[in-house]
This record gives sequence, C-alpha cells and structure tokens, in this order.
Amino acid sequence: MTDTGFEPKPKSLDSSVSEFARVRADYYSREFSKIQGKSSFAWSWNWSAALFGPLWGSIRGAWGFFWIFLVGELFAFVQIGRGLWGELGGDQIARLEKLNANIAKRQEQAQQLLAAGNAEEAERKLNIAENLKKVASKVQEAAEAAASEAFSILITGIVLLLVIKLIEGFYANLIYERQYLRWRANPKIQSGTDLRSAVVGVLLIIAVWPLTLFRFTVAEPDKILSKLTDGFIGSRIPITEFPVGKEYFGILARLGDAWFDSLAIKFGDFFNHITAGIRAVLDGLELVLIETPWPVVMIVIVVMAFRLAGFRVALFTAASLMYLAFMGLWEMSMITVALIGAGAALCVIMGIPLGIWFGKSRRAYSFAEPVLDFMQTMPAFVYLIPIIAFFGTGKPPGVLATIIFAMPPVIRLTALGMRGVPETTKEAAEAFGCSKWQLLMNVEIPLAMPSIMTGINQTILMSLSMVVIASLIGAEGLGALILQALQYAAKGQGLLGGLAILVCAMVIDRIAQGMYRKKTSES
Amino acid sequence: MADQAVIAINGVWKIFGDRAEEAMEAIKSRGLSKGQVLEEFGCVVGIADCSFSVNRGEVFCVMGLSGSGKSTLVRHLNRLIEPTAGEISVLGRDIRALRSEELREMRARHIGMVFQHMALLPHRTVRDNVAFPLQIRNEPKSKRWEVSQRVLTMVNLEGYEDRFPRELSGGMQQRVGLARALASDPEVLLMDEPFSALDPLIRRQLQDQFMTLSAELKKTTIFITHDLDEAIRIGNRIAIMKDGRIIQIGTPEQIVTNPADDYVRDFVEGISKLKLVYAHSIMDDLASYSPGPGEDLAKASRVPHDTNLDSLIDIAVDTGQPIVVQDDAGVEVGIIDRTTLLKGIKGGKS
Repeated sequence: MTDTGFEPKPKSLDSSVSEFARVRADYYSREFSKIQGKSSFAWSWNWSAALFGPLWGSIRGAWGFFWIFLVGELFAFVQIGRGLWGELGGDQIARLEKLNANIAKRQEQAQQLLAAGNAEEAERKLNIAENLKKVASKVQEAAEAAASEAFSILITGIVLLLVIKLIEGFYANLIYERQYLRWRANPKIQSGTDLRSAVVGVLLIIAVWPLTLFRFTVAEPDKILSKLTDGFIGSRIPITEFPVGKEYFGILARLGDAWFDSLAIKFGDFFNHITAGIRAVLDGLELVLIETPWPVVMIVIVVMAFRLAGFRVALFTAASLMYLAFMGLWEMSMITVALIGAGAALCVIMGIPLGIWFGKSRRAYSFAEPVLDFMQTMPAFVYLIPIIAFFGTGKPPGVLATIIFAMPPVIRLTALGMRGVPETTKEAAEAFGCSKWQLLMNVEIPLAMPSIMTGINQTILMSLSMVVIASLIGAEGLGALILQALQYAAKGQGLLGGLAILVCAMVIDRIAQGMYRKKTSES
Repeated sequence: MADQAVIAINGVWKIFGDRAEEAMEAIKSRGLSKGQVLEEFGCVVGIADCSFSVNRGEVFCVMGLSGSGKSTLVRHLNRLIEPTAGEISVLGRDIRALRSEELREMRARHIGMVFQHMALLPHRTVRDNVAFPLQIRNEPKSKRWEVSQRVLTMVNLEGYEDRFPRELSGGMQQRVGLARALASDPEVLLMDEPFSALDPLIRRQLQDQFMTLSAELKKTTIFITHDLDEAIRIGNRIAIMKDGRIIQIGTPEQIVTNPADDYVRDFVEGISKLKLVYAHSIMDDLASYSPGPGEDLAKASRVPHDTNLDSLIDIAVDTGQPIVVQDDAGVEVGIIDRTTLLKGIKGGKS
C-alpha cells in the first residue's frame, strides 16, 4: 500500500525513553512513565539534578533549566558569601573612624587653647567634640546592627539554596520529560549526556559565578581585585563598569556633524526646492481652509460628511466644528488640518506608486523593507535633527517629518494589496490581451483598492499624531498650543488643545471610513 | 480549407528552471530522462516533445491527471508560457515569433480562454466582465454592451447583466467565463478544466450546454480535463498526457477499444463502452458464420455498421436473433451473434 517505501515504525515508549536518556535509562523510563501516568503534579525526585544543579542541565542539554538555576543558585551563593565574608557596615565603620579622628583633633585643639588661656574658644571646641561623639555612637550602633545582620543574611542564603535544590530535584524530571517529547518530534534535540555541552556548561559557570560572587561580597571590588593580583594588571581593575568612556563616541559624533554640514552646503539648492514644493502645497491648502470665510468651509465640511458618510457622521462633524469654533481654535485647527492634509496628500501621491512598485518587484521590496521599518520605528526626534540641518525650521520641515513617519503604512498596504491580487485573475486578463498598463488600471489597482484605502486611512491618522512633534521645529497650529501648554504646565490648555486634535482626527477618520464603507456596500 | 490545421504544435518542450536552455541542449544531445535533468540541472521538465494538430471546428480534448502538464501545454498556445523548444502555430501564425503587440492582438481577437477558477473581476458587473476583452481592444461602450448582451443570451444568462460575480452560483460564474471567452468572437477557444470545480450535476448541464453551443458556433476548441468521461463526451479527438508527454491521440472509440499502454488501459477500464463501440468493430465474418439452432439469418435484423453496442443490445433482446451488419452501401458485411455481443460488451473487441 505504501508508495513511498517509508513506513515509520511506532516506537515503544520504554525503548524510546532509554534511547533518549541513554545514561541511567531505567531510572528515566520509570520516572517518565510515572509522570505520564499522572494528570496532576507528579512527585518525581532526581538526585543528580538536585546535587549538580545547572551542571546537570548542561550535561543533559536542558538549557532552560541550566540558565534558571545558574542565576538562582548564584543569588543564594551571593547571600551566603555576604554573610560569611561580607564587610557589612564597612561604610559605617569607615565613617566612625573618621569621626573618632575628628573628635580627637577637636579635643587636642581644646587642650592647646586651654593651655593658651582661651577658655571660651576651648569650651566651644569641646562642645563640638561632644556633639560629634553623639553622632559617633549612633554610627557605631548602625555598624553593629549591620554586622549582626550578617548572620541572618547567611541563614537566608542557606535556606534559599536548599529551596532551590528542592525545586531542582523535583522539577528536573518534569522538564526532561518535556524535552523527551520534543526529541520524539525532532531528533536534532539533544538526547543522552554530552561531554561537549557539559564543558560549555562548566565554562559558563566559571565565567559567571566567581566574578559576580566577588563583586557582591567585597566592598570595593576594583581595588581589592588589583591587590589580589598584586598590581599585575593595574592599580585598579574595573569590573564594575566598562573601562571605556565617550572617547570613540566623541570622534564619531564630530565626524557626523561635519558630514551633515557638508551635505547641507552641497545639496542646499536641492533641499530648497523640496521646501518650496511642500510650501506650495501647504499654501494652497491654507488658502482654501483659512482664507475662505469660515461659514463656507464649515458648511462644505458638514455637507461632505453627510454625502460621503451619512447623517450620524455629519452630526458628529457639526458638533466637532462647533467645539473648535467656540474654543477660539478655528484658525489653529485649519492650520493643523492644512499641515496634515499636505503631509497625507504627499504621502499618498508618493506612497501609492512606490507601493505598486514594491508589490510587483520582490527585490525592490526587500531593499525597501528595512528603510520602511526605520522610518516607522526611529523616534521622530532623531530625524528632526537632520531635517532642521537641511531644511531649517517652520511648516515645510514639519510636513517632511510627518511624511517620514506617515508614509510607510500606505506603501506597505498598497504593496500588500498588489501582492494579494490572485495570479489566476491576472493570468486571465493577460490571456485576453491586456497590456501591462491595462492590467494595472483594470485589474490590479481595483482589486488592491480595499488594502490601499486602509493604508490611506492609516497614513492620515499617523500624520495627526505627528502634529505635536512637528510643532517642535516651528510648525504652527494645535501642536504648538500643546507644546506651549507643556512648557508652562498649563493643564487646562493642554486638555482643550488635545481634545481639539482628537476631534480633528475623528472627523477625518469617520469621513474617510464612511466613504469607504459606502463604496464597498455599493459594489 | 476545411481540413486545414488551425492549431499545430510540433516537438514542444517546456523546462522550468534557471538552466532550462542548458538542460534542453543536454536532452537533445544526450537524451537525458526527466529524473536526470532534475538531478543534473535542477530543472523540471513540464512538457516533453509534444506534437499534435487540430482541425477547424474540431473539439480536441487533452486529458491527464494533475501534474501531467496539460494546463501548461494549453498555455503555450497563447504564449502565457514560453516554450523552451518546438514550433507552435495557431491560425497559420508562428506564435513564438509574434512581437508583443501582435501577441496581444492575437489574444484579444482570435484566442478566447476559459479558466478553471473562472477568474472573473469581482468589482465589475457580469456585463462588464463579459465586455472586458472588448474593452481591452478599445471598443466603444455601446458595442461592448451589445456584444455582451448577445453572448450572455447564448449562455442563458439574460437578466443577470447587472449582477456582480459573487452573487452568482459557481455554474453561472463559469457561464460568464464562457461568455467572456466568446465575446471577442475568437476562432480558437482554450478551455482549461472549465467544469472541474463544479458539482457533478451542474457539470453535466454545462457540458450539454457547451456541446450545443459548440455544434452551433463550430469554434476550434482545445478542452483540458482530468475526467476521461468528460473527454469522451465532449471531444472529437482526445490526447492523453502523462508526465508531460502525450502518450496517445485518437478518437474516443480508438482510445477505448485500443489503448496504447497499460496506463491508458487502466483509465479506460471503468468507462462504459456501450455508446463508444460500434458494430463494425466487433462483428464476425458473415461468410464463415453457421447459424446455430433456432437462428435464422433471414429473420435477423439489418443494422448500419456504426450502430453502437447500446442499440445492438436493444435489438438483440427484442428479436432473439443474430444481427446482420451492413456497410454504407447497404451491403451485408458481418454478423453479430449473442456470444460476440457479450464479448464486445465485456472487452470492447472480441
């Protein structure tokens, strides 16, 4: 019946466990069948795991076990070390010594003054000495208390170690049984004992434990370490902090400055053209939104909301516009809308063709993907700096920052939509003699439209979220209002301004979504 | 003109992979097998040395199981897939030599295609889907609509013009697909498993409808299917494909009565032969026939030589006598008695 000639034989459970465990196979067969026979917690004790802890994990290839208990045991050992050898209250003792020296000095000064016949001044010195003695006695108490704590820390450490050993002993087989099940499915997972992984485990333990223990038990590890090595490596071996400051950073940062400056000079004209282009779009939008009398703009927006998205959205839009108007934020809001409108429009104009290209060419997309990730994840402040260097401050650079942040979604979703067009549909269109352009316009873009619309919507909303950040480089509008509120801690102003941005976002989003929903329900 | 080949392909090979050209050379010079090509060049042989020709108005079925290369083969005819080697001529033109505008023109005017998964445009109405090939040719709207109305009537879909494809059942969608292929009034129809995705009842209905249309329109048709029953029902001739090769070409009767190898024989085994096997292929010699007890050749029925087994059984049951077979001129050329008939039913040829 089998065409493949390959018939996996079912392994009997016992034999495969011994095949897996290899060393102490009988023990593990017994314990595993005990675990597998229980639906609740199975009490299965493993002496070697309890004794050797992380080392057992490394020998058996149970690396999760290894790491957890490497850290756990280390923590317990640190407590024990601190209890045994730690110079607890070392700080206080040092302070006490200083205080005692101070007291002795004052008393000596007082003696000298008394001998010179200046009783009044001597009295004063003695008073100071008295006060210092009071402080010293308090410090001594603290030092003694700290020293007596050592014993309790030691006990805590020992108890902790015992508890960890218990957990190791009881959990080892449970974890190992799970590893066995994974091994059954994937034979590459380590089975049996392995010398190499044991060596790795030992090396890791050697690398982690001694230095850490040393650092936590000794008061000034850097100095003491160098004393222990007899000044062989240096008078101070820095194990508490990395021995490099800002040397390299400084060099590279200066290089970066010079590079940006030279770019700004070299491509000055180019950057100016971009700024001019953005400004043209922005001016056009502002003219329409601000210079047009407010009643006209309001009526147009509300009617548009009604026609595109229905009565409820229109009502919400009207209420939102009322809020903006009565708060005296009308002009600011329109500046903001013009700003994000320009940003979003440029995003769409550039993003959709790019998305189409990336959707068609896998190679182009693999190059673009990291750039898109960079644009979306890099904090805005990082690219604000070069933007200021190249484009100065004001609204156009603000729009540019918005574009960097808001363009990726429309590109990504357009590409996604393009790749989602079924091959069979494209093939059919080709079979009827479509040219590439006809295919794009008649088949690919219409079928990718839902995805593209989602991308545009995302882009608009992300542009809005950049409003405040854009105001940092001098873009006016609601963002500037919020920024001002932040600077003067004006809570009320911040709240009202934030609400205004929210309202703008919701109106735009509702209209866009309503428009799309209406379109899809029609077709 | 009538017998001129509308489609002719000769020695067509398709090899998939980056080193297809090298692999082709190696096959020609050293005669590598499919497995050797895969091993040596990492290339898959999709179509191996296929040749056939199809006459005007003929329905030519290409039958094979999935992976046999039949869909790949049909896509060579309108060059959706470029062949690695071989000659392809459709309507007297060398398809491989066409420039891209000529190829588009050829596809838009002369070669219609129907797909297994319909591949309709979901955002267009049925009318606009059907008119799509005409739109590609930049015909005006009025012409497009007139034509789509006409072909939709042909496939019995009038009244659904303004619906969207998703509102239609699978069978109706495939009729839209057929209408779309017919809209540009092409001489050649390529049908890539058009009815495979439909349930059996609808499939049968569509087959009937297609056969009626085909008889009326007389389009030269390449019909791809994995179903031998369908191929036998629809095809004038059938090509059977296996592993990229055509292993037999013939009329349904030839395929059924005379399979080329065990592979074809396996297929044919389950096929009812009653309507495919004719009197002339099972009859015995009349001269050497001696009537048995109760048999009387004078009382026996006379039938033409192309009477099929189904009718022969009816006659035999009615008369209880042997059947005398006549040729086209009415001359008695053979005889079928009960034993011969039973053998014929069982094994095709006695």
